[in-house]
Amino acid sequence: MNILVILRMMPDAASELQPNEGGIAIDREWLDFQLNDFDDHALEEAVLIKEATGAHVTAIAIGEGANRVLQMAAARGADEAIALDAEEGGLISPRDIAATIAAVARDKAADIVLCGVQSGEDVFGQLVPYVGALLDWPHISGTGRVTSARDKLTVSQERGAGVALTYEVALPAVIGVQTASKAPRYVSGSKLREAAKTPIARATLQPSAFERAAMLVKLSPPARGSTGEMLGDDAGQAADRLMAVFAANGFLKG
Amino acid sequence: MKIIACAEARADRIEPVSFEMIEAARSLAGDGDEVIVFFAGKPAADAAVAFGAADRLVAAHSDEAELVPAESYARILREVIAAEDAALVLVPYSASGLDIAAEVAARKGWPLVAYVNAVTHDADGIRATAQMYGGKLLAECQVTLPAVLMVNPGAFAEAVPAALAANKVREIDASGHVRNGKVKLVAVELPDPADVDLATAERIVCVGRGVGDAGNIDPVRNLAALLNAEIAGSRPVVDSGWLPRARQVGKSGRKVKPKLYFALGVSGAPEHLEGMAQAGVIVAVNTDANAPIFNVAHYGVTCDLSELVETLTEKLQAASG
Ligand SMILES: Cc1cc2nc3c(=O)[nH]c(=O)nc-3n(C[C@H](O)[C@H](O)[C@H](O)COP(=O)(O)OP(=O)(O)OC[C@H]3O[C@@H](n4cnc5c(N)ncnc54)[C@H](O)[C@@H]3O)c2cc1C
Ligand SMILES: Nc1ncnc2c1ncn2[C@@H]1O[C@H](COP(=O)(O)O)[C@@H](O)[C@H]1O
Repeated sequence: MNILVILRMMPDAASELQPNEGGIAIDREWLDFQLNDFDDHALEEAVLIKEATGAHVTAIAIGEGANRVLQMAAARGADEAIALDAEEGGLISPRDIAATIAAVARDKAADIVLCGVQSGEDVFGQLVPYVGALLDWPHISGTGRVTSARDKLTVSQERGAGVALTYEVALPAVIGVQTASKAPRYVSGSKLREAAKTPIARATLQPSAFERAAMLVKLSPPARGSTGEMLGDDAGQAADRLMAVFAANGFLKG
Repeated sequence: MKIIACAEARADRIEPVSFEMIEAARSLAGDGDEVIVFFAGKPAADAAVAFGAADRLVAAHSDEAELVPAESYARILREVIAAEDAALVLVPYSASGLDIAAEVAARKGWPLVAYVNAVTHDADGIRATAQMYGGKLLAECQVTLPAVLMVNPGAFAEAVPAALAANKVREIDASGHVRNGKVKLVAVELPDPADVDLATAERIVCVGRGVGDAGNIDPVRNLAALLNAEIAGSRPVVDSGWLPRARQVGKSGRKVKPKLYFALGVSGAPEHLEGMAQAGVIVAVNTDANAPIFNVAHYGVTCDLSELVETLTEKLQAASG
């Protein structure tokens, strides 16, 4: 069995995200890039399936810092690494990269494409349904536990309010991982150093499969609710104010 | 033009977000435009008496499954779009919506804007405001029709339920699509009644990933006890196994409406806000002054959460004598 796992580099969500001068992309100059959180879970799910079935895992990484993340993926168990040269400075738009991902999936004879359920740059749609539609494979997003049998996967999906659904998905399929079956593992420094030798192949971005697209015309921070009172960064002062707020609202009693 | 508002079922009931899609469609419909609700699921009969705020209903029903999987839903929806020659399709951002919206856009070759909070319609088409980067930025997008929008829950009010005249309802049989689908629903797990019910809790202290590690949760537990509050967590905290699943707040967790919601190290991603933005008093502690949680918080603190927990715990202990 062959697995393709997609790893997208995203600006660190805890950093300051500012529109650049053009106003339709973020200023990337001072940003740290990290592996999209959900893609980290997708990688873990890929390695767990490999451990259960002996599958071959190909990781493809996109964006700034792709090589570093591919080494980490190799250290965690990926067999093959590909860096995708996406347009510098722009969004990693699933709508634009889906054709390339679908081509790599065909090329690697993938049975399963695993990908995080979403990223912060999905404003024109998510990768999983786009790749699924292009390959004409079934797809399902927001998965929790994934277990594999020869020609199908069993996956769970949280629906809110404590309702969880279980689906069977025929292979080949595209899976949008929300939470891996086990928390993503840590790798030791020695394993990482060893994995630094993993050869990294390069793929180039193919033209988008979709012509008509929406157009981003302006990027801006959301307006702050006017009712909010900021209490500053001094714990003692903030705690005093909160004690008064709690008292006024009756939260100090039973 | 014809606007299709996509409605959803969860096992035996209609999801409230369905009414928000109708309201969103109504806000865009001008004179001579038509709002059509598309519904696929078991309680199809209920749909006819609920979706009166729309002009018509197309209800796909199947006895094959308790819930029509997104794959089959999307296929039937595409047939309905074609039959109606619809120009705009509104899909809710839900677990299913994630699989439906882009799939339909891809196969139709239509543009899509996802995570939409607000939308207007003029001669040039649609202007949609969408959330990016976990709610840290808003993207204004211009779209020409036909198009698909995936709309955030909570962005629109719920249309008022009312009955539709029988001649405004068209029923179609979804069984074939469900039977031939490659994604099959095999089990539905309902919440354990023995679990804590956060939905009725009056006070909640919620820890996010900012708590750092499991060991830092105990002091927060202590703080929660002093406030007579239940402890809850964001998705990463629950995924890490630091708190049980029944204590997750948000889109795939519980929706809560306590009098006090005290968020510690929670960024305030849209999926988290969906579960708690209606709380009475929201207090947030986050070292990042730009965290989206501060857009809904009534009181915001920007210090290290452990420091605040420690200081506040001392003061609460002193106050309770
Ligand atoms: C379909 C779907 C369903 C989802 N359902 C849910 C759901 O039900 N519930 C949910 O919560 N999420 C859900 N999510 C995930 C959601 O998108 C976010 O990933 C998640 O809410 C982020 O959790 P967080 O705020 O704890 O972590 P982060 O976003 O990582 O935020 C951590 C915050 O802690 C702050 N911080 C760090 N250190 C400190 C410190 N020492 N003191 C104070 N602050 C600090 C940081 O500034 C940061 O803002 C869902 C996603 C999808 C796609
Ligand atoms: N109900 C269905 N279940 C599974 N595959 C289908 C179904 N309907 C159509 N397909 C396949 O989906 C692809 C695209 O369908 P369409 O765009 O509807 O022509 C074709 O390969 C069809 O064979």
